[in-house]
Amino acid sequence: MLIRSVSRSIAPWPEGIEPQVPTEGYAGTFTHTPAQALLRRPPSRTELTAPLTLADKLACGDDSLAVLAPGRIAMGQYIHISGHILDEDGRPVPDAVVELWQANASGRYYHPNDTRDAPLDPNFIGNGRIRSDANGRFGFFTIRPGAYPVPSKNNWWRPPHVHFSVLGPATLSRLVTQMYFPGDPMNQYDHILNSVPDPAARERLIARQLPPHEVGLGWLGFTHDIVLRGRAATPELP
Amino acid sequence: MRLDPPLAPTSQHTIGPFFPRTYFGPTDNDLRRRTAEAEPSARGEPIVIRGRVTREGGEVCVNALLEAWQADAAGRFAHPTDPDAALADPDFLGWGRAATDADGNYRFITLMPGGYAEGNARRAPHVNLLVMASGLMRPVLTTLYFPDFAGENAADRVFTLVPEARRRLVLAVPEGEGMGEEAGMRVFRFDIRLRGAPEEETPFFIE
Repeated sequence: MLIRSVSRSIAPWPEGIEPQVPTEGYAGTFTHTPAQALLRRPPSRTELTAPLTLADKLACGDDSLAVLAPGRIAMGQYIHISGHILDEDGRPVPDAVVELWQANASGRYYHPNDTRDAPLDPNFIGNGRIRSDANGRFGFFTIRPGAYPVPSKNNWWRPPHVHFSVLGPATLSRLVTQMYFPGDPMNQYDHILNSVPDPAARERLIARQLPPHEVGLGWLGFTHDIVLRGRAATPELP
Repeated sequence: MRLDPPLAPTSQHTIGPFFPRTYFGPTDNDLRRRTAEAEPSARGEPIVIRGRVTREGGEVCVNALLEAWQADAAGRFAHPTDPDAALADPDFLGWGRAATDADGNYRFITLMPGGYAEGNARRAPHVNLLVMASGLMRPVLTTLYFPDFAGENAADRVFTLVPEARRRLVLAVPEGEGMGEEAGMRVFRFDIRLRGAPEEETPFFIE
């Protein structure tokens, strides 16, 4: 039998956190965002559940994007990104499937749909997948991704960012998001980051750099916590 | 422990156009298999769900990501939220993932889900579908119903939340029997229109 603490209540998204759609400057959102009002329903069993054994289905354990295979090391600035997957009560979410994908140091994705004229790195695929540990912790070794232009009329460049996909214990705690790098001057111009109305919520999408003397000489360290929707249903006894 | 105030959930962003193909395994779209290598659960009627994802104007969406989640053939979830979790089919995962191809098409293989009681009401057999795509800043969530269960659908509190004129948009359309790998399975079509007029846009839900 499954013995695990799962969130049993999910509240509507708090004000200012969800991106505003359609999104100013991002043309695709004007043709993809539903035009009809979303139908609000109270969360029920089917949305409060999700597979708890997903890590057995989706192969987990690849936390090294920087080293493709022994001797095959990606070009770029080596970094380590770590953090915790938490619920809204700050409780760690163990056994979440955490996927990270990103562009290479030149800002190009290893993907057939990315046909931009920038070099591919034969030693960089740029995707990893792990499962969060008992304390909700995750970590990836990778390289700092490059910025890249978005084909559009408004000369828009995406700042360096990594994509996160997190599969937790409920359909409603499913999260796809992006993480940005602190101090990058391009962050302020990004239409996707700026679609989040609340400045504090935008700030929470930006990783924190760890002091290099604490991390050592192998990598630059970044830390980034991710909070999934969901709370305990009733107050627990102290 | 309950935090007061709670932490704010992390903002959602688009999945973008480049969700890696390398993430997909050959059985990811088969909800019947608990692991990549496991035999599919045979406790229920195997069915195929397939369709096309389009946006405004009926243009196709390529490399959109779909995730399906449903109860087993007896209407149970292997999750502590379900009081009957201990009776759930141990070989059935109930979750699958598929990407749309160059023509916007996706496909899942699963078992016909069962209905179940929740509180003092019945839920009709259904499949939850989460769709993520470039141009969608937040995933959209819809629920697929089957025409086989007209009576149960009419009593389902989510089906009936959909305005009557749009209910056909959450009903899968039977397309006969499959061929090849799908031989002997009933096929249901479920097209998803992300944006359009009320009579064409798929009804999406929010909680």
